[in-house]
Amino acid sequence: MNAEILIIGAGISGTAIAWNLARKGQKNIVVVDSGYPACGATGRCGAGVREQWATKMNCLMAQKSIAFFEQANEILEYPDDVEFKQEGYLILACTPEEDAQFTKNVALQNSLGIPSRKVTREEAKQIVPHLNEKAILSATFCGKDGHLNPFKMTDAFYRAAKRLGVVFLFPETVEGIDVSDGKVVAVRTDKRTIATSKVVDAAGGFSGEIAKMAGVSIPVYPERHEILVTEPIEKIQGPMVMSFSKNLYCQQVPHGSFVMGRGDPGAKHDHDISSGWRFLDEMAKTVREFLPLVAKLRVIRQWAGSYTMSPDRQPILGTVPEVEGFYLACGFSGHGFMFAPMTGLLMSEVILGEPTTLDMTELSLARFHQNQAIEIEKSVV
Amino acid sequence: MRIEQHPILDFPERKPIAFTFEGGPMLGREGDTIAAALHANGISALSESSELHRPRGFYCAIGNCSSCHMVVDGIPNVKTCITPLREGMAVTRQAGKGAYR
Ligand SMILES: Cc1cc2nc3c(=O)[nH]c(=O)nc-3n(C[C@H](O)[C@H](O)[C@H](O)COP(=O)(O)OP(=O)(O)OC[C@H]3O[C@@H](n4cnc5c(N)ncnc54)[C@H](O)[C@@H]3O)c2cc1C
Repeated sequence: MNAEILIIGAGISGTAIAWNLARKGQKNIVVVDSGYPACGATGRCGAGVREQWATKMNCLMAQKSIAFFEQANEILEYPDDVEFKQEGYLILACTPEEDAQFTKNVALQNSLGIPSRKVTREEAKQIVPHLNEKAILSATFCGKDGHLNPFKMTDAFYRAAKRLGVVFLFPETVEGIDVSDGKVVAVRTDKRTIATSKVVDAAGGFSGEIAKMAGVSIPVYPERHEILVTEPIEKIQGPMVMSFSKNLYCQQVPHGSFVMGRGDPGAKHDHDISSGWRFLDEMAKTVREFLPLVAKLRVIRQWAGSYTMSPDRQPILGTVPEVEGFYLACGFSGHGFMFAPMTGLLMSEVILGEPTTLDMTELSLARFHQNQAIEIEKSVV
Repeated sequence: MRIEQHPILDFPERKPIAFTFEGGPMLGREGDTIAAALHANGISALSESSELHRPRGFYCAIGNCSSCHMVVDGIPNVKTCITPLREGMAVTRQAGKGAYR
């Protein structure tokens, strides 16, 4: 078997890249996944999408991606619905430092055309009536932000790519990448060897291991993030509610359930995606402080997935100097779902040698080698 | 319906408990769950399905399935199959997924 382009990983990134390449007329694209589409971080994620970021690059990635999500059903001719609930993100400032930082963030966002704004406690309470406004100093709000169904969004890319002839192989695990004279020549799976000169590493939490197979070392590591879902109730919350300092995000999805999560500062850098009672305990206490009503609901289920952390919390996209034909689309640091439309577009441009929609210097692997100051994104949970 | 006589088990008299269903008076017995008391009064449609609004009744009976969710004393999503009946409870059917304020 051979492939013009072989993509490792059928998460939101791999499927978006495949569709973008195929829609530009690229033939013989093969996507390999050891599980099935969305079985990695994508199917485990909070699926929130927001333009409210603190670095320019993340703002732009999100802004352009959200413009795509707004049209996703039509563009991808999806017979179902990706369930884009575009009712904003309310980001809580709980410390004076956050309050000051958010003023700067909003100025940056506004300068890029992102319609975010600072709101007072009282305004925040009008936006989310069950918020305990006494627990916050202020907040920011952007109505462009929202939430999608991660399974359906992946399915939409997957089906559209398949219609254009992309071949998906799963379950099939990549076990090795053959490099000869500094060029990719083949990918070995547990089932076959596929001759190819272009490989895309979109393997999420396993992207470091995949890169190693090609002899490339990349500064990423997997980190467990836990999440839960409650019983559904009638709609009471439009926006996602989020706090960086208090380590919380909480969204009511269209079905009526609340999906919420928080990071674990002590999480090990490994592939553990088990879930435990400690998270349940901490999550309940945190949400009770800000959204007391939500604390009355029963938890239906909890699970976990891997963030793939990069040093500056921005993705690593593009080529690798040492190995020709090896491309990276990883290191999303907990926000790769919302960037996927841009990940797909930019990667297709890089691979096909087209001019890129955004200057990719700040997303390249090379940014970590050049001893240059990198700007670290702080607006993360 | 209640089983009054059984070849092996005895069912001693139990104290009546007054409650309301949809505003009307009803009697259950001490030791009943809310759903058991409703059944004894001939009420078997406890809730409705969320999309097609068809009647839903007693199903898992162990507090897992949500088929018996009702509003009790103003609180939505009460699992009536495992919640003991108490004197004076106001039980109503719930429209939709439970409205919290
Ligand atoms: C709890 C949680 C909440 C999150 N919340 C958000 C959010 O609100 N918004 C947001 O934008 N992002 C969020 N994220 C991050 C988001 O889920 C990821 O950034 C995104 O899904 C990454 O997609 P991906 O396709 O790159 O990786 P993945 O979805 O992980 O896909 C990688 C795929 O590669 C496959 N693979 C791995 N190794 C191999 C191999 N050797 N051979 C073949 N296939 C292989 C896997 O099976 C997997 O399907 C969250 C993540 C978690 C865990």
